[in-house]
Amino acid sequence: MIAGLLERLRHGDRNALARLLSITARGEQLADIQSALAIPCEPSPVRGRSPSRVVAFTGSGGVGKSTLIGKLINLVRNLGRKVAVLACDPQSPLSGGALLGDRFRMGSSTDDGVFIRSLAAQTGHGAIADHLDVMIRLLETFGFDAIFLETVGAGQGDVEVRNLADVVVLMLQPESGDDVQWEKAGILECADVIVVHKSDMPTAEQTAAQVRAALDLSMGRSVPVLRVSTKANQGHAELWQAIEALPLRRRPASAALLLFQMAVDTLRQRFENRQQDAELRKLVEAWQRGEVSTASAVETLVRSLES
Amino acid sequence: MDQPIRIVLAKVGLDGHDRGIKVVARALRDAGMHVIYAGLWQTPEAVVRTVADEDADWLGLSLLSGAHMTLVPRVLDILKQADLANVGVIVGGIIPEADIPKLTAMGVAKIFGPGTSLDDIVAFLKTPREHKP
Repeated sequence: MIAGLLERLRHGDRNALARLLSITARGEQLADIQSALAIPCEPSPVRGRSPSRVVAFTGSGGVGKSTLIGKLINLVRNLGRKVAVLACDPQSPLSGGALLGDRFRMGSSTDDGVFIRSLAAQTGHGAIADHLDVMIRLLETFGFDAIFLETVGAGQGDVEVRNLADVVVLMLQPESGDDVQWEKAGILECADVIVVHKSDMPTAEQTAAQVRAALDLSMGRSVPVLRVSTKANQGHAELWQAIEALPLRRRPASAALLLFQMAVDTLRQRFENRQQDAELRKLVEAWQRGEVSTASAVETLVRSLES
Repeated sequence: MDQPIRIVLAKVGLDGHDRGIKVVARALRDAGMHVIYAGLWQTPEAVVRTVADEDADWLGLSLLSGAHMTLVPRVLDILKQADLANVGVIVGGIIPEADIPKLTAMGVAKIFGPGTSLDDIVAFLKTPREHKP
């Protein structure tokens, strides 16, 4: 069934794409899908196109991520490019239910060059849905030039998307905290572009100035801070220019990480197979009695798992 | 693992009454479903596109405008054209008694009028249908 769906996907069948995304979201038949989709993380060779640009939008709930994405969809379509959106919203840890309410802010259309998929993200999974990497590659194979990821409105520590996206856009709004907020770890440092949205509000420049001041303390990194107002229809073209000016960073980093994760899985499998080995048990006992230091026990264990 | 039911909820045509559909959205969410809220003023074409891209199991339409005998058949037609006849369609809102058999004959799975309990909607959606191909 997967092979048939993948074949239909390659021939531009949207329903097949939609079904494959569902199967991927459920974590089923991932290995089959992955192996059919070229080499993991390699730029897709489909129809000789350049690889898709993956842009993540993160920021707290209500900052205007969906609305801004809606604007950018129109802008990118006017440039003649096809765009897909994976929009994540939180899933209840109690009922497993979710209200996926992003796409209605992005404007409705029947344009074949736009594809929007709503996804439920479980708590504690880095503000994004599971298996997003495979979904991105499905969309890339289908032929989308730009892929937008919308994280759940968490705002702090949404670092998972960094490994998946070429560009991370952090969205802030005026009146959202004093200047110590910008000193907290993981917020500004993960962003490639910072947007002060709702910049028609009178204190927008003050927020932008605070953010720029905080960024000036991090040497050697220049992050554009842009004021955008969707209400006043200002700043979107400049934002897209800033996004396009950045390199397609995703490939090398995430390919190495993927390989590392596979290596970890292999080592874990070997460890589980050998837990009853006399050698390993002797090592553990010696370590528990304090005869071997932790550092040297770890080193011995790693070496014993080499083959 | 039990996979959550995916349902698109939308209002088609010129109809701004969205209190009911939002209450239903909340109830289905609390019943463990994934509810894709497509919002107000949708065209039949846009609703079907949403159902297709979201790979939904169900489509719930809310109409309080009186235009249901025009808009609902149109949605059903476009669903068929899009090869999505397997998606179940439910309708809520102000639907006169006399129109209910007409709509069900066209292929609407169930019509929920004013006074319907939320539990009835949940129970109806959770009753197994034949699996989609």
